[in-house]
Parts: sequence; structure tokens; C-alpha cells
Amino acid sequence: MSDLTDKELINELKKRFLQNKEALEEVQDLNIKLKKVNRKLEDSESLKGHFISNITNEIINPFASILALSKNILSVKKENWKKVFSMVSLIYSEAFNLDFQLRNIFVAAKLEAGEIFPEILNVDIKHLMESVLESFKYETKKKKIKVDYQFNIKEEENKIFFFKTDPEKLKLIISNLLSNAIKFSLDGSEIIIKAKIDKNNLVVSVKDFGSGITLENQKIIFDRFKRIDSGINSIHRGHGLGLSINKALLDLLTGKIDIKSQVGKGTNFTISIPENESQVSGFAFDGNEVFFEDTDIDEKAEIF
Amino acid sequence: MDSQDSHFLYPAAIFASNKPFIVHTILGSCVSVCFWDSKLKAGGMCHYMLPYWNGEGLASPKYGNIAIEKLLEKMYSFGCEKKYIVAKVFGGGEVIQTRNPQFHIGQRNIELAWVQLKELKINVVGSSVGGKNGRKIIFNTETGEVKQRYVKGQSAI
Repeated sequence: MSDLTDKELINELKKRFLQNKEALEEVQDLNIKLKKVNRKLEDSESLKGHFISNITNEIINPFASILALSKNILSVKKENWKKVFSMVSLIYSEAFNLDFQLRNIFVAAKLEAGEIFPEILNVDIKHLMESVLESFKYETKKKKIKVDYQFNIKEEENKIFFFKTDPEKLKLIISNLLSNAIKFSLDGSEIIIKAKIDKNNLVVSVKDFGSGITLENQKIIFDRFKRIDSGINSIHRGHGLGLSINKALLDLLTGKIDIKSQVGKGTNFTISIPENESQVSGFAFDGNEVFFEDTDIDEKAEIF
Repeated sequence: MDSQDSHFLYPAAIFASNKPFIVHTILGSCVSVCFWDSKLKAGGMCHYMLPYWNGEGLASPKYGNIAIEKLLEKMYSFGCEKKYIVAKVFGGGEVIQTRNPQFHIGQRNIELAWVQLKELKINVVGSSVGGKNGRKIIFNTETGEVKQRYVKGQSAI
């Protein structure tokens, strides 16, 4: 060290100061990130709290009305049978929503436990889309929403179009989009659903003419339990899981989700899923079939 | 080996069993941590894509800090004890070349594994991490043995 000239010493000191400065900047940078993450986790924790009270209402209220309605039906006299029809449709609506919510909650739990995997089948997309639309028919009717469904996949004559993907997950993804579109649509408006194939990708878009989502909110809608209007007087029901589930399910199917929205004009969600490349022998028409899986075990391998 | 039950582990998933199982997966910049209990002959594997959950999306085992924790919980549920559990770490290859250190996901994934396993005081008895290639690994939950082969190209996740 004693051999150093003054100049060398100064240069060395300068270098070290610079290094220190860089290190400091890096630490500050990390600190900022840490703060952001902390903030998010705090949010998440409080949202979780909301979620539990929320979900209690979401489950208990529908059950209470199902119970009350069915009890009423039991005491209806024969001459008033016509009344039963409206009661049954109410029961159906409550039960349908309950079932849909529970399905989402169970899938979210499975996703968070890491116990979900794609079950690939040859899927009749047309049939699957129609069955989703059919299941929401009552909901759209209730709000007098017109559904414009455009199936833009050419089918050869007498041949069903099959696409290799996971039917059950696809069904849930589309259901979540549709359910949101209905929820945020005004009474008497329209929803446009399009399906097409683009370069081996299945592309489905769901467009509503509701209130729209601000750019800022577009960044957070995929976070769990996030509901943009989570106030106590919120007119919209739901648990804020749908889009975070969609995101995770699309990850699993190596797909993407895009959002285009303008406040006051509406929102358009587009999902795109590449066709799975594996060899599949099973078929599915609306997401309830079984499948077979091939596995190969490699013999030429290093051992640890 | 043919007659044994096997499971393909998808990214962001966890698998553990106290019965003999062959678990296999393919890794690119993702990292798999395998736990094996030498006393109960039970084993489990996770396959995570990013190091830390930052509050985005679901708190799923897509993120290393959550995956390792959940895998360990699962091992405990079989009655495994920490003192008998050993770990092996694989993956974290930089299959996509980039100069920005922010994007060195493989490296960050590997670091997360070292940090977390050290914190948990679990011994790492074998590993093959980093490099530029993807890996295919096969884990035997009964013997704790892991076989690995390098794979090139796009197939790695």
C-alpha cells in the first residue's frame, strides 16, 4: 500500500466512493420496492378480512332465500300453482349464483395449494361456449341484456371443430368474464361475445357497455379479493376472485388475457389460449368427460 | 420402475406423497425444490416460476417463497420431521438471454431457494442449478433419488 502515489490513492478513493454510492442507490431502490410490496400485503390482508364477511353474506343470504322460497312452495295450495313458477326461477337464480361462487372459491383454494393441473381433451368449443351462454340465460334475461354471440370458427361440413385444451378451466374462465360483463352492464344493454381461431390460438372476447374501468384500476383488477367498488353500499355482488382466478388458470393453459376499457363506454376482455400440443385421445363436449394421460420416464439420466 | 405411479408436475404446482411415486417435470428458469424424509421415505416437489409473491394475483406456489413453505407444510402433514428432511435444488437456467439483471429470473429463483432453505435450516444434499440449458428431472419419492437430463430449446418452461 505504501507504494501508492497520491494520484493512485485519490483514484482508488474515488472508485470506492462511487461503488458506495451505487450500492446505496441500489439499497434505496430496493427499499422503495419493499415499501410497495408491504403496502400491497397490508391491502391484501385487509381485503381478506372483507372477503370473509363478504362471503358469509354471499353464502348465507342465498341459502336463506332458497330455504324460504322452497318452504313457501311446500305450502302453496293447488289452485295457486302458477305462483310456483316464479318462485322456482328465483330459487334457480340463487342456486346458480351460489354454485358459481363456490366453484370459484374451490378453484382458488386449489390454485393456492398448487394442486391444480391442466386436463387436456379435444374440446368442442362451439358446444362449450353455448353451454356457458345457456347457463347464464336467466341472468341476462333478468337484466334484459341482449347477448350478441358470434362464433367465427369455420367448421367443415358434418365435422365438429375440436380444440385441445382443458374444458373445465376454459368454461370457468369464460363464465367469469361473462358473469362480470353481466354484473357491470346496465339493464337493457348489450354484451358481445366473439370466438375465433388466430394462428392456433383460441381467442374469445367478451365486451360490455357498462361503466368501464380506469387505467389505474386496470392494474389491480387481477389481484385477489379486489373489487373496484368494495364499499358497503356496493350494488354489485361477488367476492373479487374471478379475474385473479382467470389469470392463474390462463397461466396454467399458457394463455393471455387483455383488457381494453374506456370509462363510461364499457370494457372488452380478450383471452387467447394456444392449442395444447400433447397427443390426446379423450373428447369433451361441455367439460365433464374423463381423459387419459401419457407419461414417459427417462432412463438416460444423471443421478443426484 | 414401469409399474410405479407417476405424476407430471406442472409449473406453479406442488406434489408430495408418502407412497412411492415418480414425479417428473421440465425446468427452464423455474426452480424445483425436492424434499425427502429419510425416515418416512416420503418426498415432495415444487416447481416455482418467480421468487417472491408481491401481492399480485393469487398467493399460489407460482412464487418460490410460497411454494417452499407449502411443500414443507405438506411434508409435515405426513408426519415428517424437519431433522430427517433433506433438500435437492434444480433449475434456474438462463434459457432466455438478457443483459438486464432485473430479468435474470433463473438466478433470482436459485437465490430464493438458498436463502429460504438456509432460514429453514434444511440441508441441501444435491443440486444442479444455473447454466444456459433447461432440465428434465425425475424424482423418486421413495428413495429420494433425482435423475436429471439437460434439454435444449423451447420446450423448457
